[in-house]
Amino acid sequence: MYWVSVVTEAGVFAILALGLDMVWGWCGDFDLAFYGYLALGSYMTFVLSIGKPTAPVRYIIGWHLPVPLSIVIADLTVVCLAAVIGAIALRNLREIYFAVTTLGAVYALYLIVENYTPLFDGFNGVYGLVNPGQAALRLTYNGYRIVFLGVVFVLLFATYLLVQRLSRSPFGRMLRSVREDERAASAYGRAVFWAKYRAYLVGAALAGLAGGLFAIFISAFNPSAWTPQELLVIYAAILVGGRGNPRGVIVGVFVVYIGFIELTRFLPSPASRPEFGPAFRQILIGLMIILMLRFRPEGIFRERPGAGATARSGIRRLRPTRPLGAELAAGPGRPASEPTPAADEGSTR
Amino acid sequence: MTDTLPEDALPEEALPEHALLEIEDLSKSFGGVRAVQHCTFSVGAGQVVGLIGPNGAGKSTVVDLVSGFGLPDSGSIRFAGQQVAGERPDVIARMGLIRTFQTPREWRNLTVMDNVLLARCQFSRESLWRSLTQAGRIRRLEEVDRVAASEILERFQLDALAGERAGMLSGGQKRLLEFARIAAAEPQLIILDEPMGGVNPVLGARIGDAVGQFAADGRAVIVVEHNLPFIERTCHQVVVMDLGEVIAQGPFAGLRENPRVLDAYLGMDQSHE
Repeated sequence: MYWVSVVTEAGVFAILALGLDMVWGWCGDFDLAFYGYLALGSYMTFVLSIGKPTAPVRYIIGWHLPVPLSIVIADLTVVCLAAVIGAIALRNLREIYFAVTTLGAVYALYLIVENYTPLFDGFNGVYGLVNPGQAALRLTYNGYRIVFLGVVFVLLFATYLLVQRLSRSPFGRMLRSVREDERAASAYGRAVFWAKYRAYLVGAALAGLAGGLFAIFISAFNPSAWTPQELLVIYAAILVGGRGNPRGVIVGVFVVYIGFIELTRFLPSPASRPEFGPAFRQILIGLMIILMLRFRPEGIFRERPGAGATARSGIRRLRPTRPLGAELAAGPGRPASEPTPAADEGSTR
Repeated sequence: MTDTLPEDALPEEALPEHALLEIEDLSKSFGGVRAVQHCTFSVGAGQVVGLIGPNGAGKSTVVDLVSGFGLPDSGSIRFAGQQVAGERPDVIARMGLIRTFQTPREWRNLTVMDNVLLARCQFSRESLWRSLTQAGRIRRLEEVDRVAASEILERFQLDALAGERAGMLSGGQKRLLEFARIAAAEPQLIILDEPMGGVNPVLGARIGDAVGQFAADGRAVIVVEHNLPFIERTCHQVVVMDLGEVIAQGPFAGLRENPRVLDAYLGMDQSHE
């Protein structure tokens, strides 16, 4: 069951990464609050579905809703939080200022959750969401975990289809124009803040969904499960897979989580130096990421210019019949509206 | 004080019947620096107006204020009959005013085709909800747009590069892409900020032709440029600025004899003569 668990976790993080990629890959905003959205999604799923707390445990709400409904409500809560953080951070802040603001927001959330125990029982966290629905489905523990893996993959696939559709749409192209050059985008009529804000809320919704699934996966949740540094691994996965390419993002998460993080657990350690294996594992992970960035910075799957819509409609990639910069030979004074004979040869008609 | 030439000196096509852009008493300061002071001029449909002056004269500030990239301290900017001073740049662009920048600002990791498609400004297709629910319909509409965009690219001899990333183009091709984007946007008013910067003479002639074509299509064009032969060749009217003020306006030929213009600017460059 170890590998079922590993692949399930990677599937959940792939949904999170697809959301993060909309913010960073498509819009160019390096957001450090995103793991907080996953955490809030998890916490809210717990408190909406595990029932009233018994002393000395304390947490808010304490309802007994069906888990799928809990995840939906938890997700809406996450979107509300993202609406507030996004409204502050996206309006005028860019690059490092945006990153620091979102980092501040997630640390504030972290400290509140850790110290204000009536919220989610402080550092003890919440627990009790153990294989919801297992009895009704008459499954064994292992059978349940396999079915849950299937559910995660179905949701991952659905998320991929949704994100891919957006990526290939004029909406995805518009977001990338904002990423490439905000001034030019606004000079051509794009409301930059509103464009980024919409993508941010969709990305946060995916993080909230991942949080709800993570709650079922992990069965218990406390502040030690979501240090903001965890997000850097997700960023590494997006980089490795291909920033801005949904397929690449999913592949990147599986490569990093399974290839870099899990497989390296099996590195042998000499009996005299048992700490060698884990230490070397950390070095190897860092080295692999550095090599990846050095030799293939665009990732395994490069973002496709034209965001797929171009490829789908069959842009004709013609070999220029005239050398690039052929205007030098075209002669002065030729009206731009009159294509040269050479240009006619190279036309797409 | 502005030296305005007598109107009977202007060619007939230069007279704006209905001014598309009216700038009146526009001022802007940055701290203690008065970048623009009491600037007043207007541009009519089908007219090409050159905005010239030495570095620091306030030309680019005027362009920024008109296009929404700056907030004026005082004064009025009316575009197509509406007050636009202080509006956001995207709002002004949607009204039909497209500007360029001193350096080409292509969306470098998008294809040349996507750069032109984006410039066509089909905003309703960029709705998040419609992208999810009407993907097929949007794709069919895009096909129609793609044909129009291909024709524009062909006109600017960029059709063979439609699938290339815009960042891979040469400097001259990026300038042409800029004009292709403007043609795709079909604006009422075009502001070109130093379109001849880093452009070779042959390409410069084509840019001049493109500007003429925009005007012939009934669009108003403002050209900020230091290349005076280009201004002389393409502009119906010229507005000369110095130290934030409009010091003269009228046809280029008439400005040659204006002592203030000669002193402030033209005297610095007579190479075209």
